[in-house]
Amino acid sequence: MKCDWVRQNILFYVYNELEDDARYEVEQHLGRCPECALELKATRKFHATLSENVQEPSPNLLASSRMRLQEALETTRQGGLWHRMILEPAAWLRQIRMAPALAAVIFIIGFGGGIGATYNYLAAGRESSGGTITSSMTGSKSPANQPLESSTITGIRSVTQEPGSNQVDIKYDTVSTQEAQGSLNDQRIQQLLLFAAHTNYNSGVRMDSVDVLTQAPDDSRVREALLYALQNDTNAGVRLKALDGLSGFVRQDPTVRDGVLRALISDENSGVRMQALHLVEPMKADSNVRSVLTRLSQTDQNPSIRSQAKAMLAQMPEMD
Amino acid sequence: MRGSLAAQGNRIDDTGLIREAQQGNRAAFEVLVRHYDQSVLRLALHLTGSESDAQDVYQEAFLKAYKNLGSFRFECSFYTWIYRIVTNLCLDHLRKRNVRKEDTPVAVDSSGEEYSRIEQFADARSGANPERDLMRRELGRKIGSALTQLTPRERMVFELKHYHGLKLRTVGEMLNTTEETAKNTLFRATQKLRAALSEMR
Repeated sequence: MKCDWVRQNILFYVYNELEDDARYEVEQHLGRCPECALELKATRKFHATLSENVQEPSPNLLASSRMRLQEALETTRQGGLWHRMILEPAAWLRQIRMAPALAAVIFIIGFGGGIGATYNYLAAGRESSGGTITSSMTGSKSPANQPLESSTITGIRSVTQEPGSNQVDIKYDTVSTQEAQGSLNDQRIQQLLLFAAHTNYNSGVRMDSVDVLTQAPDDSRVREALLYALQNDTNAGVRLKALDGLSGFVRQDPTVRDGVLRALISDENSGVRMQALHLVEPMKADSNVRSVLTRLSQTDQNPSIRSQAKAMLAQMPEMD
Repeated sequence: MRGSLAAQGNRIDDTGLIREAQQGNRAAFEVLVRHYDQSVLRLALHLTGSESDAQDVYQEAFLKAYKNLGSFRFECSFYTWIYRIVTNLCLDHLRKRNVRKEDTPVAVDSSGEEYSRIEQFADARSGANPERDLMRRELGRKIGSALTQLTPRERMVFELKHYHGLKLRTVGEMLNTTEETAKNTLFRATQKLRAALSEMR
């Protein structure tokens, strides 16, 4: 009787699943009963046998699984429509430090053109000319570095830079269209550029603003915007520009490096991938870079990228 | 304390991360993923027996978790929650494979995949002793084939207990059943395995 009970429980004894009392009883019995002790030995052996040859996922498999997931997450939204509507603008607002805005945007849109325009006008311009809806400010004249009431910007119409200078001319919409001119160092101008790089409706504008932004990549916000453009912009030209602007930071800024690697794997445009490949070449000793290269050399659709990745891997000293 | 996190070393307090991820912070979710994904991938790899299937399960599980994170109410540990998703996906996978096996009239060696992965693994670890390697490979093959004789549920319980070191209570929770049932299932599974292994020797 006792032996039966012990046999039933030896397995759970080995797997450490017995309550203290039962455990004690089993141990007591095993000390006295050689047959049950044999059974314990057999169970332990079985346990040990099955613990041999355990397959662990390779680091490459883990790395590529992670990357694949990251790519998919970028196009996946949490929850339903509510999240999409609330969180999407909230995200870019946060990114370009427009924090006070969301409520204000809704407020302003709600109250419509007339009231909104007046409000913007006073906030941004300080010079009023009755019914006109365009105000022009030159860099020297404008109140230096006075930030715009960010909540009032609804879109950017155009960005032009005067050749050979750092003067930038930006037409942007509030509830009405306004125009701002200023130097690249002007906070207002920077803010507009960052905004333009994020807005989506006109790829020409995004191209221009990303282009201008690449001249000031030391600013971390600018880098953030460039990364954003690299990952999300639908226009390959814009992504290429952004990549250009980031090129100096691949080595020192891991976020930039990750962004470039992601582009290298997931960008649909082979020109962008090729460019990214050149950027990471000096970093090829990095294990992340290596695993991406390995993957590219096997799976990239473009034969010249595959062979280039292969060549880069081949030149590398073996290491583990 | 609900479950031991043997596979993870210890329990990690994820509450803050989960809340952030629930508010749409993708970076927080990615950190969360990294706390668990190694054991998730391991589980999927063991149960599906193929790297590409394991990767599919991994992907599907975390995407599902991401989309449904809003419905996580801290009633169980996040570990249990995510494992519940993974185990369900793996069980589906195992059941599909069993059906496929039965559907195939020609005796295609459906566990061939399994054999080869164990062989590969043995190769990777092989030292200078070919005889020992051969034996190890042989053993791996036997274990692999013994495991395929279990039902999907037995396989799952055995995997979670033996290879992931989870408490049977947690296993029961993950599989939506009681500790007692998990206990019985484990018992049955090991009986079968022992029988299968001794037959082959």
